[in-house]
Amino acid sequence: MSVVRPPVAPPRPWTYPSAAQHLMENGVRVLAHDLPGQYVLSLRVVVPTALSAEPPGKEGIAAMTARLLDEGSSAHDAEAFAELMERHGMVLGAGVSDGGLLVDVDVPKRHLETAAGLVREAVADAIFPETEVRRILRNRLAEIEQERASASHRAAKELARTLWAPGERAALPTGGTRETVGALTRDDLVEFHATSVGPQGATVVVAGDLTGVPVAEVLERTLGTWSAPRHRPVPPPAAPVPAPDAARVVVVDRPGSVQTEISVGRPGPDRSTPHGWAPHPVISFVLGGSPSARIDAVLREEKGYTYGIRSAFRPRVAGGSFVTAGSVRSEVTGEAVEILLTILDGAARAGFTDDELRSGVDYVAKTAPGRYATADAVADETAALALERLPLDFTTRTLRALPELTRNDLDAAYRRVVTGEWTVVLVGDAGTIVPALEGRVTGPVVTVDL
Amino acid sequence: MPLDYPIHRRTLPNGLRVVVSPDHTVPNVTVNLWVGVGSRHETLGRTGFAHLFEHLMFQGSRNVRSGEHFEALMAEGGRLNATTWFDRTNYFETVPTGAVELALWLEADRHGHLLDAVTQENLDNQRDVVKEEKRQRYDNQPYGSALIDVYAAVFPEGHPYHHPTIGSMEDLDAASLADVHAFFRRYYAPDNTVLTLCGDITPDAGFELVERHFGGLQASAGQPRRHHAQLEPITEPVRVDRHEVVPNDRLHIAFRLPVDETDEFLAAAVALDCIGGLGTSRLVKRLVRREQTALGAHATAWGLVDGASLGFVVLDVAPGTDAAVVEAAFAEELDAFLAGGPTEVELEASLAQSERSWLSALASQEERADLISHHLLLHDDPEVVNTHLDRLRGVTAEQVVAAAHRWLRPQSRAVVAYLALDEAADEGSEDAGSEAVA
Repeated sequence: MSVVRPPVAPPRPWTYPSAAQHLMENGVRVLAHDLPGQYVLSLRVVVPTALSAEPPGKEGIAAMTARLLDEGSSAHDAEAFAELMERHGMVLGAGVSDGGLLVDVDVPKRHLETAAGLVREAVADAIFPETEVRRILRNRLAEIEQERASASHRAAKELARTLWAPGERAALPTGGTRETVGALTRDDLVEFHATSVGPQGATVVVAGDLTGVPVAEVLERTLGTWSAPRHRPVPPPAAPVPAPDAARVVVVDRPGSVQTEISVGRPGPDRSTPHGWAPHPVISFVLGGSPSARIDAVLREEKGYTYGIRSAFRPRVAGGSFVTAGSVRSEVTGEAVEILLTILDGAARAGFTDDELRSGVDYVAKTAPGRYATADAVADETAALALERLPLDFTTRTLRALPELTRNDLDAAYRRVVTGEWTVVLVGDAGTIVPALEGRVTGPVVTVDL
Repeated sequence: MPLDYPIHRRTLPNGLRVVVSPDHTVPNVTVNLWVGVGSRHETLGRTGFAHLFEHLMFQGSRNVRSGEHFEALMAEGGRLNATTWFDRTNYFETVPTGAVELALWLEADRHGHLLDAVTQENLDNQRDVVKEEKRQRYDNQPYGSALIDVYAAVFPEGHPYHHPTIGSMEDLDAASLADVHAFFRRYYAPDNTVLTLCGDITPDAGFELVERHFGGLQASAGQPRRHHAQLEPITEPVRVDRHEVVPNDRLHIAFRLPVDETDEFLAAAVALDCIGGLGTSRLVKRLVRREQTALGAHATAWGLVDGASLGFVVLDVAPGTDAAVVEAAFAEELDAFLAGGPTEVELEASLAQSERSWLSALASQEERADLISHHLLLHDDPEVVNTHLDRLRGVTAEQVVAAAHRWLRPQSRAVVAYLALDEAADEGSEDAGSEAVA
């Protein structure tokens, strides 16, 4: 080809979309992003809660409460509610994290008021019909079995159980276990909803093409009438405490597996870390964010052992983890785990290179306009800021900090997390895996049932 | 609300069809290429090859070393990938405006001059990677091979959609460098490719850049073969039972459908929505909500071009319920739908949900570019992004009933049942993984 490789013009400066703020009469904060051309509006309701405040033995109650919000209100039974949503092109999801409950709605612009009204019904007026409660709980029990059958889900569950101290809420699945979900009753859910879900401290995010939409009025008429007299806000969660024996290898026996799901973790920071968040996504990219990243350069592109292994910091509202996960074919498990740990520890010993710093910073900084280009993505990020109690300029400030990062910043951030001690979870055929680990890992290896 | 995403279209002398769709709201441009080759073009003994080939497109070309395509674009803030499907292979990146020419240069180098750099070592390595992809996404997943079974049950041997895009381990093993050369020469050419630029670029600048980088490529694709004739519906129910270690029984009930972008396909898709696709579909209301014999019910219609499309319903059977009971209820609901047709509320809900999902897809530059390339390559009509919803609004209850009567009769179904082995354990576990076609 005669055409020479073209130069690249530097990107224009960019800032995260700003939000118009409004405080409704019931105390709910509204954050509205006007994004021209985004005709499907994204609506998020963030209610600060703390998963750690779930009643002991009833873990999963927050997640089940979230799932039941749109399964019947005092005005509409579950089927009527679902039909109203569908006829207005609305889709609703609700879930919980360690620090809050999040309702997530997308709806065509012209149906915003209907959608906001239905969301008010869901958060304020859910009535938890007995038949729906039984159905949702039974479905969760079936879902637990489905998660057990999936190697990646099973690995995530075992990693949490091994990484965090016994008794920590973070050590259990967010949706609860067979025992704790089995213990829930309708009365529990009604009580939990009445006391944990309310407008105090809540934030509503609206993002999309708001031309001609009187957002404040529409929301005052709907979510502005939300009250919950028995709502008792709880203090924000604390970071989970790691298990004293977290540094070990757990093999989850999944007989006949043709691959081993590998999950390697360490406790990590949340996004409010006083050291600054900016280095963390850069490190994730450099180690395990692409086929050319340190891990896949060896395990995928050189060895052909995997379709891809990803490393990422996973911030919670409080605390977090640094997790590297992916799958390799069973017969190379021992070698792959050894190589993986060598790469992860090697980065702590020798640090990162100038090239890695530059390419990682450029990737994270220059992808930002595209990553936050849709109403959906902006609403998600702003809702996350609200949930994590972060200031609204956090995203822009973090992006601005990226070009100033040095190798020392990356090395220091990584070394705060990586000490050479790992929680390693392997889900696969124990008969194949365990002998192959001999001499390749340090610390105890225990095998548990699927 | 009529949609008016701008579509500027031009064809280069070498046959490359180009669309530029400006949108200056974000300082990014998406470069999206669709090549007219997919697993439907694969020959016996070489299944999975189109996808394996797609992997090799990242392993270097005349002026680009192995891995550099990813590295060079990501370091400029590019997000990129490629996918292979029955009907086509696509390659795409979204880059900051200032990097669009680099993206086009990289694409032109591999789409024009891949073979200069292909080596046995790269082929062997990516063959291993693809095998791990197959293990991860199919072989090591509960129900992971269900759709592969569906394709084989619905489409006759030798039909383009009889086998999956991922292919088989044996065929992946058989792929040679000679195959790579022949495949590239046969299918990778500007006259078998379309290119969309969507985002922060003007039509003049876009066409000029594409001309500069792709204008020198030679038209060389062979004459495309004609599409297969439309397959008629199945006349006797087909059944495949798999006894496996799965957490609960799951039924996949599939139908042949008319080819994509026909009125009849749209009507059949609406029928499937009403029956099982909506959150308030008949199957959800009856099986999931009222009788609680299913954990979930979903329905999908995949539009395809080569003689048939595929529609299927997935019913996750509640533990403790006999899958046969759920299948019988399905057949009853289907009969009731055929007899009474859709209600007004069902039609309204189907249209409202389709509208939101279409607008949501168009909200992202990446997906908009992909939809433009899709309809440009396979239907020569990129304006579909603007006209599709109007067309959906025109679908009548009569058309839905007629399409259902032709394509969705109970006897036209192929059922792939994954049945939990635990229940069958007492009867002997030698049935594991066995197949019974009746």
